[in-house]
This record gives sequence, C-alpha cells and structure tokens, in this order.
Amino acid sequence: MSNLANQLVIAERTDLARGIKLLLAHPLIRADTDPDGFDLVRRRKDTLTDWFDYHCGWALAVEPRLGYARLAKVRSDPDASRPARRDRSSRAPFDRRRYTLFCVAAAELLGGPATTIGLLADRIVQATAADPVLTAFDAAMRSERMAFVDVLRALESFGVLESIDGSTESFVDSAEAKVLYRVDATLLMRLLSAPNGPSQPAERDQGADPDEAISALVAESRYGNAEQGATEVQCNLWLRHSVLRKLFDDPVVYWADLTEAQRAYATSQAGRQIMRKAAEQGGFVLEERAEGVLLVDPEAMATDAKFPDDANNAKVAALHLLDALGTSRSGRTAEQLRGDAESVLDRSPGAARTYRYSDGPSRLVNDAVAVLVDFGLARRDGERIVALPAAARYAVVSGFPDSAGGNPS
Amino acid sequence: MFRFAVGAQAEAHSAILHAFGEANEDLCTALGIDDVRSRLRAADWFDALTDEDLAERLKKLAEWGLLDVVQNHAENYRTATEYERRNLHYSLTKAGEAACAGVRHALAVLNEAGALQTAVLDALADRLTELAGLLDDPATADRRLFSAVQEVEGRLEALRTGATGFNGELQRLLRADGADLDTFHEVKAATVAYLQEFVTNLDQRTHAVVAALGRVEEHGIDELHRRALSGADLPPTAGEHATQEWLRHRRSRWDGLRSWFRPADGSTPRIDQLHAVARRAIVALLQVLDRITEARRHSSGAAADFRELARWFATADRDEDLHRLWSAAFGLGSARHAHLAHEDPELVAPSTPWAQAPRVRVSALLRSNGRTEKFARTGKVRDTSAVAALRASRARQERAELEAAWRRLATGGEVRLSSFGELEPGVFDRLLDLLGRALATREDSTGLRRACTGDGQVEIVLRDPGDARSARLRTSRGTLRGADYLVDVRLLTDSPDAEAAG
Repeated sequence: MSNLANQLVIAERTDLARGIKLLLAHPLIRADTDPDGFDLVRRRKDTLTDWFDYHCGWALAVEPRLGYARLAKVRSDPDASRPARRDRSSRAPFDRRRYTLFCVAAAELLGGPATTIGLLADRIVQATAADPVLTAFDAAMRSERMAFVDVLRALESFGVLESIDGSTESFVDSAEAKVLYRVDATLLMRLLSAPNGPSQPAERDQGADPDEAISALVAESRYGNAEQGATEVQCNLWLRHSVLRKLFDDPVVYWADLTEAQRAYATSQAGRQIMRKAAEQGGFVLEERAEGVLLVDPEAMATDAKFPDDANNAKVAALHLLDALGTSRSGRTAEQLRGDAESVLDRSPGAARTYRYSDGPSRLVNDAVAVLVDFGLARRDGERIVALPAAARYAVVSGFPDSAGGNPS
Repeated sequence: MFRFAVGAQAEAHSAILHAFGEANEDLCTALGIDDVRSRLRAADWFDALTDEDLAERLKKLAEWGLLDVVQNHAENYRTATEYERRNLHYSLTKAGEAACAGVRHALAVLNEAGALQTAVLDALADRLTELAGLLDDPATADRRLFSAVQEVEGRLEALRTGATGFNGELQRLLRADGADLDTFHEVKAATVAYLQEFVTNLDQRTHAVVAALGRVEEHGIDELHRRALSGADLPPTAGEHATQEWLRHRRSRWDGLRSWFRPADGSTPRIDQLHAVARRAIVALLQVLDRITEARRHSSGAAADFRELARWFATADRDEDLHRLWSAAFGLGSARHAHLAHEDPELVAPSTPWAQAPRVRVSALLRSNGRTEKFARTGKVRDTSAVAALRASRARQERAELEAAWRRLATGGEVRLSSFGELEPGVFDRLLDLLGRALATREDSTGLRRACTGDGQVEIVLRDPGDARSARLRTSRGTLRGADYLVDVRLLTDSPDAEAAG
C-alpha cells in the first residue's frame, strides 16, 4: 500500500504544478473550452485554492456545476503589457472605444438571462445617451458595429455570452442581424476581479489621476491601509503576497524595482525559502541572481508568449538587438539600433514582409524593443533603450571568459 | 394652389388669405383694400405694409387664381383718389377657399396634441349602438340616419387623428434620449400613467365597438348609406357624379372603421396594433425611467461598477492607462515567464550577477536564420486504427461472401454442369475459377480431373461424360456455353453440411 500512497502523492504533486501553471496562464478556465484543464482544477480545487491564497493572496473560485474556474488575479502594479485583445487573427489590442463598449455592454447584459443583439444594441444606445461622459453609441456606423462585435466576441470567448442562434459577426454587415444570446450573469460578475468596485468611491472627480484610480481599485483592506496603519501580521502577509505575485506573474523581478521592505523580505532566508518552495510546487525553475530573480517554465505553459522565439520578426529582431544593447551600459537610441534591424531584414528577405516599407526598420526596432520591455529585459530611458541585467541570459558575446560553456553558438 | 406659401412674401400672403378666410366666415365675400387692411390688423399682422405693397400682393394672389377682382361701381366716390383706392374689390375663388382651408388644417395639425382617449372609443361604441337602434326601428327618418352616420364618422376621425398624432409624439419621446433629465423624468412618468390608463379595459371597449359594428352591418351597409344619402339633402347643384362620390366616401369611411376594429380580410385590427405600440412604449419608457432612477440613487453593484468603469475608460488619458486599467479591473491577463533554463541550474550561486552567469542555450538556428529547430516535437504519427478496422471489416466481408459462394457451389455429389442453371456473377466467377483449375490438370486413369482452390478449402472433381451434350450457364453478365461435364464440388473444411454431403 505504501507504493500506492507514493503514487498518489506524486500524482497530486504533478496535478498541483499543472493546475498552478494553467491558472497562471488562464485565470478563467472553462469546462467547455478546456475540459481537461477544468477537470484537473476541479479535482485539485482545495489544494489549488490554498496554494494561491497562501502564496499570492489570490482567490480561486471553482464552480463545478457552472463549468468554470476563475482565479481573481490582483496585481499590485498593473502594467500595460497585457491588454484585452480582439478575437481576430490580428490579435490587435482593444482601443478606448472597445474597452468602453465592453463595460457598457457588460452592465446591460446583467439585466436578464437572454437577449438579442438588436435589443442589446438598443440598450447600449440608451445607456450611452443617458450618460454625460460616454460617447453615444451609433449602430448606424459600420466602425461602431465593428467595435461592438469585437466586444461581443470577447464576451463570447469568456463564456459570458453564448450565441444560441445566429452569428455575432453578421452584425457588422447589418444592424438588422438577428442573434440570440444566453447570458451567464454570475460569470459576468466574476470577470471583475478588482478587490474594490469602481463605483464604490461615490464621487470621483473627472480627470483624476489614473494612477490613483487604479491604486484605489486594487487596494486591499486585508493588508491594512494608510489611515489605520497595518499590524505586523498584515505587513508580513503583504510582503509575501506582493513579492510572490510579481514572481509568478511577471517575467523578471528585479530587487531594484521593489520597495526596501519587499527587497529585505525577498532576499531574506525565509523569503528565499518560500520562493524556492513555491516555484518547485509550481514546476518552475527558480533562477536566483544578484540583481533579482525569475521563474523559468521549461514547458512554456504558464506564459502568454515566449522569448526567444521565432513567432514573429519582432521577436527575432529583439534577440539580435540584445547583442547590441549588451555592449553599452548606457544603452542605445532607436536610431542606433536601426542598423541591426536592417541586417535582420536583409538576412530574412521573405519573412519580414510586414516591415518592407520605408520606415520598416524603425518600426521593427520599435516592436522589438516592446518585446524586450515586455519580457523585462530592457527598459526605455527617455530616448535611450537600456538593457536590464536579465538580458545577459541570452547574450551571445560577453567579456567574461566563463561564457564559453554556456553558449553553443 | 399653394404657391403663396413659399418665397419671401409667404407670410404676408398667408396673412392676407387668412383675412379673407375670416371674412368669408362672416359671410362677407368681397373686400376692398381698406377692409383687407383692417382685417389684417384683426389677424395680428402689424408689419408695415404700404398701399402699393398691399395692392401688389393682392394682384399676385389674383394672378395665382386665389382671388377674384371685381370693380365696384355701387358706391359713391367723392374724389378720384378715393375711386382709385376703393373701386377694386376682392373675393376668394374656389381655389382660394381650398388654400385657406388647407392652411387652417395644417396649422391645426401643428398645434393639436395627439391623444388616445378612452372617451372617444366609448363615444364611438355609443354612436354605433344608437345607429343600430335606429336601423332596428323601421319608422326612423332618413335624416336621423344621416346624422348618426356622420357622427360615427366624426368619432372615427377623432380616434384616427388622435392616435396618429399621439403615436408620433410617443416615438419622438422615445428617441429623444439625453434631454434634461428632470423634465424628462416627469414627462415620461406621466406618459406611462396615461398609456396604462388607455390600455386598461381597452379590450372591453374594443369588444363593445365590434359588437355594435356587427349589429349595424346586419342591416346592410349599402342600404344604410342609401337612406343616409336621401337624408343628406345634397344641394341641387351637385349632379349624379357628386352623389356617387358621396356614396363612395361613405363606403371608404366604413371600410376604415372596419380596418380599425374588424378587418374583412382577417388581418390584425389597427386597434390591436395601437395596443401593442402602447405596451411597447410603456416597457421602453419604464426602462429609461429605471435607468434614470438608478443613476440617481448611485446604486452600487456589478452593473454600476461596469458603468463607472466605462466612464473611466472613456476619460483615461493615454492608451497605456487603458490597458493598465483593464489589467487592474479584470485581471484576465496571462502570466509571462522565460522558458529557457540551464541544464543544471544549481551550479550557479544565487549571488552571481546575470552578466557573469552562464548563458542559456538559445537555438543557433534562431540566431542565424530566425527559425527555431523543432527538435522538441516528434512528427505526428497518423492514427491508423480506423483504417485497420476498416480493412479488417472489409476482409471479413469478403471472406463471408466467398464462403457463401462456396456453399452455393457445393454440389453434394456428382451433378451435370448444366444443372447450375443460373448463377450470380460473384459465384459464377468462383465456378469458372474452379473449372479452369480442374481443366488445367490432366485426366487420371479413371477419367477424372481433380483440383483444389488455392487455400485448399474446396475440391472439384470433373468428369467428361462423353455424350457431347452442351451446357448453358446464365449470369447477369452473359451466358457460358460449353461441354456439359459432370462436376462434384466439395468443401473440405469443417463445414458440417459439406461433411454430410461428402
């Protein structure tokens, strides 16, 4: 029997690691799109809930009957690198109009369990007309209908809407299109994961600082607050959660980006111990260095993008730019990097079709730098682009003799 | 006819016509220029208008055929100027009268507020019942029938104009979102109450009207209209054409009445449509009211959160803030991590800076060609189980067919080839095969030829009877003619009936 017990423990350990990675990559897992993943999370519900609550302070809600699991990710410093994207081949990020319509549509969808695209559009027309801030929705314009359809498709992809009859896309061509939807209101409410409702601060003066608005949104009373102060327990909880949230959600955690207290915690014996254990439980490799720490996911399961990768020209170029950036401590300007981009374009004439215009190299540099910034390998410092320490992981040349063994090329 | 209503002088022209119209009502059919002026004053027209202008305007109207000009010689004129001023008198032509009526009607429509009045419906039902009562009594005078018909038509007209006008206003009200919230709120609340009042008992009232309508129609509509015509006392100036026209009008009005309450073709009565419009409007207005009340209460809750969030998105400064706000509010983004690790990460001490730690293994191909080698993934092996299953079942089927053929061919003793008679093609092929095998062998000492199929399951014994008879074997593909051998086909396998036969 001891053998069986061992097997069960091993199974639980792999399940836990897989569940953690799945939820990190997809905070909303639905049974009808990912039955295996959902089944795993449902089976290991308690273990996963405890794990996320202890390490990151994130609540995991699993609804076995309704068929979804939602990890309410709260980021202490939300960044712009992971926007909502259109459910189209371009994967273009949402713009202001789409974000706005998304929220208005969500509010209107809470009204009932079923609706049609025309009724919903009417309600949005009314809602936007009655609101002094919002631009009125005009279903007569094709661009507006396009934005509306993108929003509905996003809602469909989250499982909030289910089209029972007709296709959402047909609304682009005609506002008369007939599409019947079933609305999952509970899931819709779960989409909002911020600990504070945006409508809670009763009066918000228009044009307030967005940073303040965002920090008000994500402030959590469990860690104490400025007025009442925080107890030692709350402080420790906050340190653990805030550091591990960064560790598990962001590509690199640099000590330099942390507050004094966070840095002290992260570099302390206890902090390191917790990070190592958590990484191991999640099936990650923890890379600890003098400047910071990062998680490596060898299966690339808990990540939305990979680097280095050949997924697009920008990523290929980004890898090349790292070489140039690595040689200069003070960084380089985009103009200086242009030459490298051009050489990438020259070497892969067929592949870089999208950058074959007069400003192609500049745009390639821009996109490549965006990749590096998103992966925590570089930052923009005014005009200059400066490589961050972790960029050295991928560098091909180095002044240090011990690099020879590390790089096969 | 309505040329006077356009152009720079339209207002003056209209005012003058209006003055003539008023005068006509006082049975004053001809006006001099001074009368026109004084009546213009009475009609609230105070703009400066010189005699020349006025004369010019009147002349214009006369030109358009709206006014008749007559010389008035009946009066006593003291001076030549006075004669010039006053000898011309103007009166409305028939077209002028129509134009006047048109303008008056247009103004009336502009000013009147549409209404849905239950009183109108009640009145209509009453008038119809009355009409039916009159028809029941054979002694009723035609005159009374005429006035009753007119009253019914009047009520219908009131219902019709009221409903159209009201519906127009209702739709305008529904469209006009975003007006001043306070008045909006009151107007809509009042409208909802009004509509609800109307819709209540609408069915009952409609029913009363329909019942009365049925009673009247029992007496025959044509007869009713004929009697009403004789009661109408049309003036002798109207000819036969006019009476026909009059009857046609009555008929079309009656059809109108029916289309409102009981259409002959069984389509939806318009009163029901009105009902539907009213109910839809109530729902729509209540929704808007809800929204206004909710906005006032500053209610929290998910819907309010989403709305507030929409406002944040609408007012955020930069694109970057939009994405950050999305990330903060919804937290739907994926984590992002490196995927290349050292082969043995434990070899590097945690205090090593990244710059001095060994690099991770980046694909050389990615650097040189911009592509990664896909060594991690093996080629996908095609799933052949379906194909295998298909083949197995086909083989089984073929086997079964073959065995059936053998069984069909097993003779159970020596028979003439001709006794096979007619065979299906598959079985015939087998037989041909067997015969071919047998004929390919040499006769043994007893004059028999023996052969087996390739799998050794069937044996054929062939003997030439030597009587030179010929056999005919028919299949659907043709007929085989040949010597009529004696054949004995046996199954050598464990088939029980074959054993028995052998």
